[in-house]
Amino acid sequence: MAINPNETVLKVEDLRISFKAYGGMVQAVRGVSFDLKRGETVAIVGESGSGKSVSIKAIMGILAPNAVIESGRIEYDGMDLTKVSEEDFHKIRGNRIGLIFQDPLSALNPIMKIGKQITEVLHLSKKISSEEAKHRALELMHAVGIPEAERRFNQYPFQFSGGMRQRIVIAIALAGDPEILICDEPTTALDVTVQAKILELINKIKEERHLSVIFITHDLGVVANMADRVNVMYAGKIVESGTSEEIFFEPAHPYTWALLSSMPDLQTKERLLAIPGTPPNMIYPPAGDAFAARNKYAMKIDFEKEPPSFKLSDTHYASTWLLHPKAPKVDLPDVLRARIERMKGAK
Amino acid sequence: MMIDKNKGLPEEILNLPESSFEMVQTDEIKDEKFKTKPIGFFKDALLRLQHSKISIISFWIILSIIILALIVPNITGFTYTEQDLAKRNLPPKIPGLENIGIADGSRVLTNRKKDSLSDTNRYPEGSIIEIVREYESKGVAMVDVKVDAYALAGIEDDVYHWFGTDYLGRDLMTRLFKGVRISLIIAFFSVITNVIIGVIYGSICGYYGGKVDMFLTHFAEVLDGMPYIVITILFMILLGSGMLSIILALCITGWIGTARLIRAQFYRFKGREYVLAARTLGVPDVKLIFRHILPNCIGPLITRAMIAIPGAIFSESFLAYIGLGIKPPEPSIGILLSDGQSVLLQYPYQTLFPAILISVLMIAFNLFSNGLRDALDPTRRGEE
Amino acid sequence: MAEESNYILEVKHLCQHFSSGRGKNKLLVKAVDDVSFGVRPAETFGLVGESGCGKTTTGRTIIRLYNPTSGEMYFNGRDIAGPMTKDLRRYLTDNIAMIFQDPIESLNPRMTIEEIVGEGLRIRGMKDKDEVRARVHEMLEKVGLTEEHATRYPHEFSGGQRQRIGIARAMIIKPKMIIADEPVSALDVSIQAQVINLLNDLKEEMGLTILFIAHNLSVVKYFSDRIGVMYYGRLVEIARGDDLYRCPLHPYTKALLSAIPEPNPITERTRKRIDYDPERDHDYSVEKPTMVEVAPEHFVYCSPSELEQYQKQLGL
Repeated sequence: MAINPNETVLKVEDLRISFKAYGGMVQAVRGVSFDLKRGETVAIVGESGSGKSVSIKAIMGILAPNAVIESGRIEYDGMDLTKVSEEDFHKIRGNRIGLIFQDPLSALNPIMKIGKQITEVLHLSKKISSEEAKHRALELMHAVGIPEAERRFNQYPFQFSGGMRQRIVIAIALAGDPEILICDEPTTALDVTVQAKILELINKIKEERHLSVIFITHDLGVVANMADRVNVMYAGKIVESGTSEEIFFEPAHPYTWALLSSMPDLQTKERLLAIPGTPPNMIYPPAGDAFAARNKYAMKIDFEKEPPSFKLSDTHYASTWLLHPKAPKVDLPDVLRARIERMKGAK
Repeated sequence: MMIDKNKGLPEEILNLPESSFEMVQTDEIKDEKFKTKPIGFFKDALLRLQHSKISIISFWIILSIIILALIVPNITGFTYTEQDLAKRNLPPKIPGLENIGIADGSRVLTNRKKDSLSDTNRYPEGSIIEIVREYESKGVAMVDVKVDAYALAGIEDDVYHWFGTDYLGRDLMTRLFKGVRISLIIAFFSVITNVIIGVIYGSICGYYGGKVDMFLTHFAEVLDGMPYIVITILFMILLGSGMLSIILALCITGWIGTARLIRAQFYRFKGREYVLAARTLGVPDVKLIFRHILPNCIGPLITRAMIAIPGAIFSESFLAYIGLGIKPPEPSIGILLSDGQSVLLQYPYQTLFPAILISVLMIAFNLFSNGLRDALDPTRRGEE
Repeated sequence: MAEESNYILEVKHLCQHFSSGRGKNKLLVKAVDDVSFGVRPAETFGLVGESGCGKTTTGRTIIRLYNPTSGEMYFNGRDIAGPMTKDLRRYLTDNIAMIFQDPIESLNPRMTIEEIVGEGLRIRGMKDKDEVRARVHEMLEKVGLTEEHATRYPHEFSGGQRQRIGIARAMIIKPKMIIADEPVSALDVSIQAQVINLLNDLKEEMGLTILFIAHNLSVVKYFSDRIGVMYYGRLVEIARGDDLYRCPLHPYTKALLSAIPEPNPITERTRKRIDYDPERDHDYSVEKPTMVEVAPEHFVYCSPSELEQYQKQLGL
């Protein structure tokens, strides 16, 4: 497959999704736009409730029944995925877009042999004989690093450890030979040493199969490991987007600052900069900048008017009034500046 | 909106006043205040219960039946034991309705000799309403005749038996509501006893676990395996038929379900972190059981008890129906049904009213307990 | 292990075995196997390891939610491993309090915040309602909540607030030591710092000793003075945080350190992960491993030959 690195494979434009709930509509996603280029990994970072998982579910066509896509487009291969029928989605899901879930145990059928679970997907995607399907399944299991694939082919999910289960989920996601892989917090439920192995595996298969990856996580360490570009989400919006370097070394949005400085790394000694308060209630999203109420650098306008997305470089955008020419000059918090210096200095 | 600063800002953004860009959050940022009022668990459950129309209707039906059971037997002017053979098997007669032809105390007598109609000893004046059919049988002129049964029995015009009378001439309405009263008393007492025994038994099983649990659970299973009709009969022999032996009979195995429920809840909750937290604070066992674990069982417990009430009423009726009921002349719904079914074809109303009442009662209790279950379900907390 | 008695909590050869099944099917799980460590007054001791390594069980055994299978435990010199008497329970619960992982699970949904936080006082015989209320309000203030929150039920709070309520409940009885079992791992990133900072403030203010149990080595490292690394029921290395980070000795510690993703794209792209395989990395067929103090304050579970190698590595 020839790779054009600048070819956009997936484009999300001004996506707005709400949920019907007791007490009103929860505005989970409020105008999200991003794109995915061929062969790259785009990370979406945010806390629970920031709308990152909901956006991904919309791409996969697996939104909960009480969700409403209010506006926006998801462009993929000349289609608008927000308008594709459930039947057509069957052909896209698994075959062209693969998904890896957070919890490998609930993603697998507990009473079906794992070999069967992989071959089932193979049969769904193409007309092949069962020997060929088994052969391909064993290949896949080998590719995702499951030892003794022949023996394990006939085992049940409970006979596997968490890491191995996640490998099976990855094998199933790869079975339809997709071109986009969506990972929804695939390592959150795993131990760090297992997490490291799974991340390595995802990076490896991404290279081998020229996949484009959307990676959802709240762990900035994982983002640094995986992502070419990063979108930071807060309260249903992307507040900052840029390349990994731009986000980690030249963050512009106060929320990104707060995220970066709120977690200790192995060298941290100073007091952490905690983000005070709690995320807003998305039934009544605040006027202006949603982060304003928790933002030490909030200005009057932050409570009145939503900030536009200011361009900082061709790849770097941030939605904060601090970038307005009339805004007072605010320096990075000392803790963060020191940390960035230290990070740049690391070999 | 994406804005490239180098290409110049749009007017409306560039012209924002300087004052808009003042820093405003100089103080320490505190947690948001709650906008809603605090609400307790039961209040919350009550709110949700009120949203279920069916539950509310069921509740009012149950309440009105209870009130009727308390009042009616005292205001009909009859007592449930008062016999009058002259008045036996009278059809329903209800003031008001009698004028439109329903429940007017009339009955159709068939196969009567036409001649006998003129006999005023047998058919007092005014007792014959109309002749329904005339025909001849073996050369004798016969009629089917609609008569005023009350006049026929020689009763004054102002006597009304709303639901009719039974084969001993007792007022059925009085007996029915007296019966409801007795059935409800039996049901409430047996359910309360079952709940108490079940909670204690289940708590001990669930909280202590291990060998204690194993022994007690096996014992309950053995008890559950015994044919309870036999035990009921033994109770009857021992204590004589009466309310006490019925309640006891319903309690022999009735508590086992509750005990299982409580035991399961204990197993579910005793390892919860908040129970562990309470233990690390030094909360004693008794308080752990009653303050931290049992309250979580209240929802399912109330629901279960509510469902058990119609079950107990039904069991009582069943026992009465097969002849193991309470001692006559005390009525209960089951006894009324049992009496009624023996004359079902001649006097269907004697079965009809108790049957309607027990059906309504059971449906209402079931629907109400469904509503309660939903309202008390902690996973639906905070909705609405 | 050094026989100094300047430890406030001392655990010696603690074993906690769970068995399930009977006869042939009997399964023995050595959740905690021969674990020894000591915690000094006003120190934070971090216990780190992956899920199932026995760190939570260790914490729960110390506060006697479980009865230890064998081993000794002393708190301030008093034996706390013996049979559970009323007196011992009182002593334990007065001196050690626990903070739990799950902010939803760890608060009783049927009780108000005031009842939850005040429970420790009430069971200690504080009858005066106003006094309890005043103490509860004071404690809530300390953890960044207000009086107004006292009449609320847990479900109305966010995860971070609930965790702070859990801390208030533990702190109100003024314990000498806190066992914090994964207090931040269930929280959102932006909230974790609130809780970590709060614990740090309380520690300074009240001179608390903390046993901090977590799987996130960055957090443990930031928070703890000394760290014990656990692997499958055993402590494999104990060292001061910086020592552990700078010169990890046990291969498992190395593997763990190499697996932590750091929020730094430069180092992340070149990171080399180290694998740990106990079969491959140790040869214990001849020499049996023991816990040895390789350098001051630095203990490793190793065999004599490994010890030599480690000492070389440290330049001793």
